[in-house]
Amino acid sequence: MSDGGGGMIPSALPGRDRSVPVLHFAFILSGLLFLAGCDNNPHPAPYHKTRPDGSPWAVRYMGLPADPKSFDPQFVYTTIDQQILEPVYDKLLEYDPRKTDPITLRAAMLEEMPKKEVQPDGTVSYLCRLKRDIHYHDDPCFERTGGKGREVVVADVHYALQRIADPKVESPFFAPLEQRIIGLHETREMGMKTGKFDYATPVSGFEQIDSHTFRLHLKGPYPQILYWLGMHTMSPVAREAVEYYDGQMHDGKLRPSFRFYAVGHGPFRMREYIPRRAIRYERFEGYHTDTFPTEGFPPERAEVCKKYAGKPLPLFDELFIMIVPELIPGFVLGRQGFLDSITATKDAFPSVVTPDRQLQPKYKARGMTLERIGFPSTFYYCFNMNDPVVGKNVKLRKALASACDMRAYVEIFYSGVAPVSNQLVPRGIYGYNPDYVDPNAFDLEKAKRLLAEAGYPGGRDAKTGEQLVITVNDAVEGTEMRQRAEYEQRMFERLGIKIKIAESTFARVIERLETGDFQLSSGSGWAADYPDPENFFMLFYSKNMPREGSNHCRYSRPEFDRAFEQMSTMDNGPERLALIEKMNAMLAEDCPVIWQFDKVTFLAAQPWAAWTHNSRMIEYSNNKYHQVDPVLREKLRAEWNRQPIWPLFALGGLLIGGLGYAVRWNRRNHV
Amino acid sequence: MFNYIVRRLIYSVFILIGVIGITFFLDNMMMTPDQKASRVLGPKAVGQTREEWIHNRGLDRPLPVQFVQYVKKLVTFDFGTTWVTGRDLRETFLQGVGPSLCITVPGFLAALLASLGLALFQVFVRNSPVDRGLTVFSVALMSVPTMVYVIFAQAFLALNLRYFPAYGFAYEPGMLRFLLLPIVIFMLINIGYDARLYRAIFLEEIGQDYVRTAYAKGVSPSRVLAVHVFKNGLIALITLVVAQLPKLILGSLLIESLFGIPGIGSMLVQAIQTGDQPIVMVSVFLGSALYLLSLIVTDILYALADPRIRLS
Repeated sequence: MSDGGGGMIPSALPGRDRSVPVLHFAFILSGLLFLAGCDNNPHPAPYHKTRPDGSPWAVRYMGLPADPKSFDPQFVYTTIDQQILEPVYDKLLEYDPRKTDPITLRAAMLEEMPKKEVQPDGTVSYLCRLKRDIHYHDDPCFERTGGKGREVVVADVHYALQRIADPKVESPFFAPLEQRIIGLHETREMGMKTGKFDYATPVSGFEQIDSHTFRLHLKGPYPQILYWLGMHTMSPVAREAVEYYDGQMHDGKLRPSFRFYAVGHGPFRMREYIPRRAIRYERFEGYHTDTFPTEGFPPERAEVCKKYAGKPLPLFDELFIMIVPELIPGFVLGRQGFLDSITATKDAFPSVVTPDRQLQPKYKARGMTLERIGFPSTFYYCFNMNDPVVGKNVKLRKALASACDMRAYVEIFYSGVAPVSNQLVPRGIYGYNPDYVDPNAFDLEKAKRLLAEAGYPGGRDAKTGEQLVITVNDAVEGTEMRQRAEYEQRMFERLGIKIKIAESTFARVIERLETGDFQLSSGSGWAADYPDPENFFMLFYSKNMPREGSNHCRYSRPEFDRAFEQMSTMDNGPERLALIEKMNAMLAEDCPVIWQFDKVTFLAAQPWAAWTHNSRMIEYSNNKYHQVDPVLREKLRAEWNRQPIWPLFALGGLLIGGLGYAVRWNRRNHV
Repeated sequence: MFNYIVRRLIYSVFILIGVIGITFFLDNMMMTPDQKASRVLGPKAVGQTREEWIHNRGLDRPLPVQFVQYVKKLVTFDFGTTWVTGRDLRETFLQGVGPSLCITVPGFLAALLASLGLALFQVFVRNSPVDRGLTVFSVALMSVPTMVYVIFAQAFLALNLRYFPAYGFAYEPGMLRFLLLPIVIFMLINIGYDARLYRAIFLEEIGQDYVRTAYAKGVSPSRVLAVHVFKNGLIALITLVVAQLPKLILGSLLIESLFGIPGIGSMLVQAIQTGDQPIVMVSVFLGSALYLLSLIVTDILYALADPRIRLS
């Protein structure tokens, strides 16, 4: 590379016009003024400033980590999608905002809880009555009423059920429901005769009694159907809306597809969806399906709740959901008061929560409150019961289970937050036994003894003297996951055995679980679809082996299967509890899994948005019960976001000084 | 020149088919249809649900049939829908171009101007301590990871000083407040590398005979730099600058994701995380097509700018 050759060319700064420093100064000043005028509020202006009665317009600001997959109630299945849909679509039943232990259903769009009727032929029916005067949100799709939302009727529930059977909707709930609801399978078969689903084909298991009463006929006892009625899957849908929003051009205008356009009947109507940015909702003025409860408040919230007892819902006017997949910006927005809560993720945990699980004093001083949300879920290590080494040797499995120090694990990787699990059913779900003692819990000495009894004293095969090698199927997609895998390796190797970590992606780990290509798999888990023990024990039912189900351990014990079949169709009561205990004992005896922990989220709520309710089945949901004090927020936000002026002056001074020095240097050297 | 362009276009078609083929077969080697379904639907979707999903997307057909259909779709620009949201891919990409360009075009222009200015200045004061100091500065700018700039901007300028929003985007009169930090970071991460490169190009030029002639004729050093060296150096710059244009449309993966700019870069990151394979495949296709196009345009511009070059 040439350096230009020749000698040094006399250097000179171009131009000696005295106006240059002045121009620079003006430029810097305008830049500083621009900075000073910069607003750090990322949100757009609310739809209104005040309500019709003159009181301030209240907006709730939430952050969610991912874009919705759909707004179609019969299609959505992820927690995030349900959180996004929940303000728009009410459900036939809902989780009681006051009761979390155990989580309990209550009537929402229905007048009362469905009445169970056992038929002489062994089939079971549920009689349901819809509340009257529930209306859809106003929308152009209601052409007959000139855009005014019509009343929700039983035909809409039937239409929702038909949509579950329509293959084009791709509802993931068809498979579980066709086994339970009479005629659902046949509806799909008959409806698809012409290749395109025919909505003239009724579901024979759905009996419409009148415009507001229906009976759902099931093939046999299945009390969990009530939980399905508490999901968006069974939420009524207007046929007009589905047909109107077809994603096609009409009169030169493109109509969105129903999959991304919500016409619901919930407390809020969706006004805007800006992909990968935000979803905006506004209060539905015609909402009177529900009011704030008047009694039964949890003692710790009674003071806040009493203020709202009997008030019409929702308690605020506008909901703004911001899509924030990144943790740091989410935390910054919460700190500045631009989101109504701060989620204490792993990285943010120490700065939000103290080691004794209290809110950090700086947040307490701000008036924030700490919410602890235990989502019903269980994580575990999964043995492959078909594996010739671990699958056939119960003492070896028990030895490995007893070598697992989950308390230390949780302390290191989850800041000690996640409760260590000792049984399949998590806290808050019927059947959880707080007094249960896991016989395979951590005890290193016992583990060594069991290993010797299993035929591997000191970790070596008693016959051949070879060291026992066990391969752990582990998802390693980042530093933290690698640290966890290394910790697990050390934890088991204390027994003298050799652990090989089969590092792969999460997708590959799942594939291995499904194909059975593993010995021991780490990080398996189950989050409740509905809060019933059946939803957890089915993981060990022999008929649920992959690909038909999630019995990844390939656990099979006829006695367990019989108990499961009996328990799954029973109503809650002492008999059911006895069966649950029996199944827990069988799992402890056979040890197909090693329990790890349950999932818990900590969240710091802003002083203007203290929680009025508990919610465990859908994290951060039940928007209609939330309250917001917009006046307090405005005051505190202004206080927390004052922009200091000194850095601007410092920066300006530095730039002007530097410039002045350069000009002087130039004059001294070149004039 | 016409023959040259036609020939290059024909070559490009073959290269493009090669790229499509490699990505298609790599994708199918890496993941089975079952894994793809599991990734998109989640591990809880089993049996029939998964089979239907695979069937509806034609993933159960023989690979050659899938490949022919895939190529047909791409060449007719019928990209289909995303797997995760079912949204129209063409529309999704078009929605993402605007926000990406909002960051990359101003960032690119600012970086170009700043690095050209810096390079010219360094040539002007070459071999002096100032030149060496600026070289060290450029290397430092190149060496700092993008993440460090982002964390500094969000922690110091957004959280502590509260001058800018930490996150977000909106098409509104005050949208510059969302864009300023990402643009400055985009500029900073490019400036060091570009300034070093441009400095080398200008130094190459300043040793040429025409520069000596200009000095001999009494042209001032600043005019020699600004007019003669800069103009002749631009020919070499065309190659570098035009080749960067496709990157502007495809956005910046990290900056967009961390500042909440809903451009193509952040969309691609999200698609990789959620296993939305059509978005990834179409991004690769568009990236390759734009890059090949930019190479042809570079050649044409090169020939236009330098009469000594003849395309044949």
